[in-house]
Amino acid sequence: MTFLSPMLWVIAFRSLLQHRVRTFILGAAIAGVTALLVTLTGAFVGIRSTLLLSATTLMSGHVNVAGFYKASASAGAPVVTNYKKVRAIIDSEVPELDYVVQRGRGWAKLVSESGAQQVGIGGIDITNEPGFRQVVQIKEGKLDDLTKPNGMLIFEAQARKLGVKVGDTMTIVAPTFRGTSNTVDVILVAIAADIGMLSSWNTFMNDQGLRQLYQLNDESTGALQLYLKDIDQVKPVQERLRRVLAASGFELLDPDPRPYFAKFDSVNRENWTGQKLDVTNWEDETSFVQWIVTALTALATIVIFVLMMIIGVGIMNVMWISIRERTREIGTLRAVGMQRQAVLAMFVAEGTLLGVMSTVLGGLLGVLLSVGLTRAHIGLPTSWQFVFFSERLVISPTLFWVLFSVGFITAVITLISIIPSFLAARLKPITAMSHVG
Amino acid sequence: MSAIVTIQDVVKEYSLGATVVQALRGVNLTVDKGEFISIAGPSGSGKTTLLNLIGCVDTATRGVVEVAGQNTAKMSERELTNLRLNTIGFIFQSFNLVSVLTVFQNVEFPLLLQNKLSAKDRKERVEGLLEQVGLKTHLKHRPNELSGGQRQRVAIARALVTDPLIVLADEPTANLDSETGQAILDLMKSLNQKKGTTFIFSTHDHRVMRYANAVVRIADGKVTGRESPQDAVAHEMEGLDTRSTEVRAS
Ligand SMILES: Nc1ncnc2c1ncn2[C@@H]1O[C@H](COP(=O)(O)OP(=O)(O)O)[C@@H](O)[C@H]1O
Ligand SMILES: [Mg+2]
Repeated sequence: MTFLSPMLWVIAFRSLLQHRVRTFILGAAIAGVTALLVTLTGAFVGIRSTLLLSATTLMSGHVNVAGFYKASASAGAPVVTNYKKVRAIIDSEVPELDYVVQRGRGWAKLVSESGAQQVGIGGIDITNEPGFRQVVQIKEGKLDDLTKPNGMLIFEAQARKLGVKVGDTMTIVAPTFRGTSNTVDVILVAIAADIGMLSSWNTFMNDQGLRQLYQLNDESTGALQLYLKDIDQVKPVQERLRRVLAASGFELLDPDPRPYFAKFDSVNRENWTGQKLDVTNWEDETSFVQWIVTALTALATIVIFVLMMIIGVGIMNVMWISIRERTREIGTLRAVGMQRQAVLAMFVAEGTLLGVMSTVLGGLLGVLLSVGLTRAHIGLPTSWQFVFFSERLVISPTLFWVLFSVGFITAVITLISIIPSFLAARLKPITAMSHVG
Repeated sequence: MSAIVTIQDVVKEYSLGATVVQALRGVNLTVDKGEFISIAGPSGSGKTTLLNLIGCVDTATRGVVEVAGQNTAKMSERELTNLRLNTIGFIFQSFNLVSVLTVFQNVEFPLLLQNKLSAKDRKERVEGLLEQVGLKTHLKHRPNELSGGQRQRVAIARALVTDPLIVLADEPTANLDSETGQAILDLMKSLNQKKGTTFIFSTHDHRVMRYANAVVRIADGKVTGRESPQDAVAHEMEGLDTRSTEVRAS
């Protein structure tokens, strides 16, 4: 009689059924943990995908072609001087491309009547930004007014801090790459809903306006952001671009997986002048926000681990009780000719069965819970928005994580049930049969 | 006739902490094929211990236990389990059925362990036996839906389903009223006569001894004699007064 014999499963199933209350409580606990695991992994996937969408749209693209221009060895500016030529190469060499945008890059102090804030400024050509409109939700003003040369977009929290509303004038004070400070007046044309921590330092203004601020010509930009049809193609595209750009006569920085603003120091220490390009990807450019994903993963792992421990102890206890109650039965079956392995298999089957039934149920519950919570459009508290990159709770359960949760918890329960089952199977038949209680 | 069980100088000791209890103190016994033999003695005399050794669910401290020609001391746990499965049938005092299985499944269980017969053959065999024990109409019942006598008849069917050479029954009627007990013994006896299966059953009830071909008398862990059922019953009647205190006490 092996693990596959139907009779073992019949006994296991009926034994579970015979102790309905106990089975129900334990099954509910297991289902609860499974549902929680599905929901947590769903939240994790949700955060990751909103982060990915927001961060790539706002800051990096999937593949990012940027670079530094140095008028002198220690004065690097985040500028691509001849971007139209680079763009032509991208257009012809990257068939995986969905679309590409150019963005100016600046770092300046934004001054209003009542406050000031240090911000990053993206120079944006809003007429050529299909993704931006989907990610950035306008609360006040009009996105299309960014076509005005001095139009500016900031986020809600920034507007509150600076005490400004649409139509107000602000001044940008920017240290230039030549050592002096330039100033320019801008008009606030749009206020957007916050996108977590990403919106704490990002602002956007008309790309021509930004060029004026830094006295750059029309051929210059900060970065070209490539959006691919399939984000998994990032690595090959990145490698190809490096190769092709080098072959076309461009100088390239050595590969370095850090965001561009972390590279100023090392670039300025190097002893070259002129233009060098840098080809990075979204993971490099947004690595500084991805610690959140890592932290959430760690947190979720700890929660799951603790819950599994509790469930594990529960399973173990229930198995002990079940085995103690059935010790005489075990003795009888052994006397009648059942081998030790078969007794072991019978009890493990019970654990597995309980595990499968409860985790499948829990998996379904988890999916329903996730969908329900997402549909309910639950607003997140501000501090949570910061890490969820969204104003609302978005939980995206995936088949992979549902199957993982079901499989993982069933496996753990089966493993746990092996220990008491093994000890039960090892009893001498006569010892088992003469057991009282 | 050939011996199917041979017991030589068997000692069985139980240690209870520091003290050692000798349950059997040098037992010799031979049982031949086809016998319907009763092991009789007062409570605590060692009947259950002796049956456990014959049934290979326990091992002797010293001495030789041979079952179906095999020395059980030299066998592995796996081999002993197979010997129990294929050669021995058990009928327990308290029936010991699997509560979550139906009557049919309880009786079928040893056949599943043997894994020799097809589902169809198993069904035929099990239903045939349950018909013989008068439970053809209760195939789907659970043990807790049956009376004590019915449960013991299921146990008998389970013990016989593999066609064992030996059936061991430890006070099979002790938990039954006398009428039902008699019916059970009639059934065992008829199966013994029809199939030639060896039955060894223990009892301290003289009404039960009457059914045996021979009565092996055991007292204080020793076989004190082997006699005809008539003599055994006669002795029982005489000794009742003098031994009664001892019997009650154990
Ligand atoms: N597991 C055990 N541990 C200790 N002593 C035992 C054990 N089983 C039986 N005995 C002792 O062995 C003796 C014989 O018991 P048993 O074979 O059960 O007698 P019977 O079945 O004739 O009533 C008794 O004294 C009993 O107390
Ligand atoms: Mg006894």
